[in-house]
Amino acid sequence: MGATLRRREAVTAYALLAPSLFGVVAFLVLPIFVVLWLAFQDWDLLAPLQFVGLDNFSSVLTDAQFGRSLLVTLLFVLLVIPVQTGLGLFAASLLTRGLPGSTILRTIYVLPWICAPLALGVVWKWIFAPTDGALNALLGFRVEWLSNPDLALPAVAAVTIWSQVGYVTLFFMAGLTSIPDMFLEAARIDGASPWQIFWRIKVPLLRPTTFFVLVTGIISSFQVFDTVYALTPNGGPQGSTDVIAARIYYEAFDSFDLGRASVMALVLLVILVGVTLLQQLYFRKRITYEQT
Amino acid sequence: MPKRSTTIAVGAAAAVVVIGGAATAIALSGSGGAGDAGGEGTTVTVRLWDEQVEEAYEESFDAFEDQNPDIDVEIEHVAYADYFDKLRTDVAGGSADDIFWVNNSYFGAYADNGNLLNIDETLGAEAKQAWEPKVVEQFTRDGALWGVPQLTDAGIALYYNRALLDEAGITPEQLNALAWSPDAAQDTFLPVLQKLTKDAAGNTADAPGFDPDAIAQYGFNASNDLNAIYLQFIGSNGGTYQDGDEFTFDDPKSVEAFQYVVDLINEHHVAPSAADTNEDGDFARNQFLQGKMALFESGTYNLKNIADSADFDWGVALIPSGPAGRVSVTNGIVAAGNADTEHPEATAKVLEWLGSEEGNSFVGASGSAIPGVVSAQQTFRDYYADQGVDIAPFFDVIDGAETIPAPRGANYGAAFAVFKPILDEVFLGRTPVQEGLEQAVDASNEAIQ
Repeated sequence: MGATLRRREAVTAYALLAPSLFGVVAFLVLPIFVVLWLAFQDWDLLAPLQFVGLDNFSSVLTDAQFGRSLLVTLLFVLLVIPVQTGLGLFAASLLTRGLPGSTILRTIYVLPWICAPLALGVVWKWIFAPTDGALNALLGFRVEWLSNPDLALPAVAAVTIWSQVGYVTLFFMAGLTSIPDMFLEAARIDGASPWQIFWRIKVPLLRPTTFFVLVTGIISSFQVFDTVYALTPNGGPQGSTDVIAARIYYEAFDSFDLGRASVMALVLLVILVGVTLLQQLYFRKRITYEQT
Repeated sequence: MPKRSTTIAVGAAAAVVVIGGAATAIALSGSGGAGDAGGEGTTVTVRLWDEQVEEAYEESFDAFEDQNPDIDVEIEHVAYADYFDKLRTDVAGGSADDIFWVNNSYFGAYADNGNLLNIDETLGAEAKQAWEPKVVEQFTRDGALWGVPQLTDAGIALYYNRALLDEAGITPEQLNALAWSPDAAQDTFLPVLQKLTKDAAGNTADAPGFDPDAIAQYGFNASNDLNAIYLQFIGSNGGTYQDGDEFTFDDPKSVEAFQYVVDLINEHHVAPSAADTNEDGDFARNQFLQGKMALFESGTYNLKNIADSADFDWGVALIPSGPAGRVSVTNGIVAAGNADTEHPEATAKVLEWLGSEEGNSFVGASGSAIPGVVSAQQTFRDYYADQGVDIAPFFDVIDGAETIPAPRGANYGAAFAVFKPILDEVFLGRTPVQEGLEQAVDASNEAIQ
């Protein structure tokens, strides 16, 4: 009787899981294997597939343009992550003080994050426009933000930070409100300054949140596509915004070289898995301060 | 909780993958078409990117369906920005429409790969005699025609703002007689452009106090625009853009032509900065529509837009001639038949209708484009005659004249993606013209293989 019931429960559980399992397998697991397989083929979407062994790997891994894409992406991540995380933490500590208007501000902060990045890109393109653009009108002088190879990547990074910071803030707010008051009170009684409380108590206790925010932030920065594509198509001035996800897109849909694009996608996958593992190792030891 | 933009970014990176999966899924499920070719109610689908022509097609297909009650024609609209990506994946996945539009830059790959119906076989070798010969020539590859001409751009012309010409004391007749030349002594075009360019203080570009950093009115739309601008300058200087599929625009005559156009921007300041026009392909047209540009060189593809939006007195003149005469590009768009269609007979019937005077005339009568069927072109001229606009320059520039061939090649899109950023730098003045063109030609020839 008990065994039958349990089996029936298991069947029900699997039946309930089936739809999402189908989604994961059909749209995530299978495609990864397809990419792995495509990486060994020469395919332009029209002519039949042709097995080419490791040719795609050797051509991608010796391609200077692809090397530049990796560097540009790394630079982009380095521009975005520290600022985005710092600003998010700063905004969160202000918003958790219960000041009047916090609720409205919280909503406003998250708005850019819930908007479609491509649409935001189009709007920001107007703002950055050299002639008649809003930003230059405000500044009073002309800056060619998206045509200057030194400014294009910082400009794109700024838009990304602006659109992501609300999301980061949201998580830090959740982290901050979950810190038990007794720790803070104890510190205050011991005569700690607000500055000390922030750095010595709150930041260490936020470690799990920080881990999560950094991992998801780094992954999404490595994969940035829509904002860059909308603001600076074709790799930007002198290839200065030729991030890897955009390069994969151009390789697949401008050059119609699906094999090479697949190799690039695999390289990105390996990098992301590597980065995530490193972070896991670093945060594992001291990830939580359990409340006992 | 996955972040929205993460999901989107993953999706973008995995797009490569998903098409593989999608292709398989579609292949497994069959294309689920609308019944047998023999049964009643065969549906033929037609894909295009132009909304204005779509409206004309609706009327055209209503008339077709009245005459062919057993065939139902459905239009699928795909925005131009995604059109050729989507077409490629759909053809690969076997889910492309029975009939789809292609342009001269992209049809080569499909023709070479056997994805298109051979029109000479489908509609007979005589059918093409009714169609615009230049378009027929463009879409003939390996001795066969691969689409039914639907639109032609005719040639390129100069849109002008009459009030701005009047202020400078220049008449439209004078425009028709202008000649550009790399030799400053022979150049009558630049002096006119200088008179038509003004800074915020009202100084013209040839005046001593002219401030190039505060231009309030541009003379001309010199820019990195292949179809409207530099093909004409290359052609009228006796240069070549391509020889067959191979790029040749670094020949000495083309270098001179590019140098002239780039100097109009960076040396003489009679055109908007390349930063503006590189970043926003519609910048020049918008300046013209706002009354801040005197001359705007472009094709009939902007005619309806300008006719509908310009709230000032405007007209059309001939483009300037060059040392090798007055040379324009002319483009066409065809409706191609899908070689894998499940309804070959019904598809052939719709193609035949699209290539007939009656079927194609709706396009011209609405003013949206010049019909590819020669006898239907009068409808377009009539439309603009009613509007009081003389559009003769678009036709005169190619009538009996030599033209420069439109871009072509099996992998043209890949080549364009490679040379566009290089030419952006040339137009910005950051790469010397000769050096940039050599780089661009080498890279494009590698990409088009």
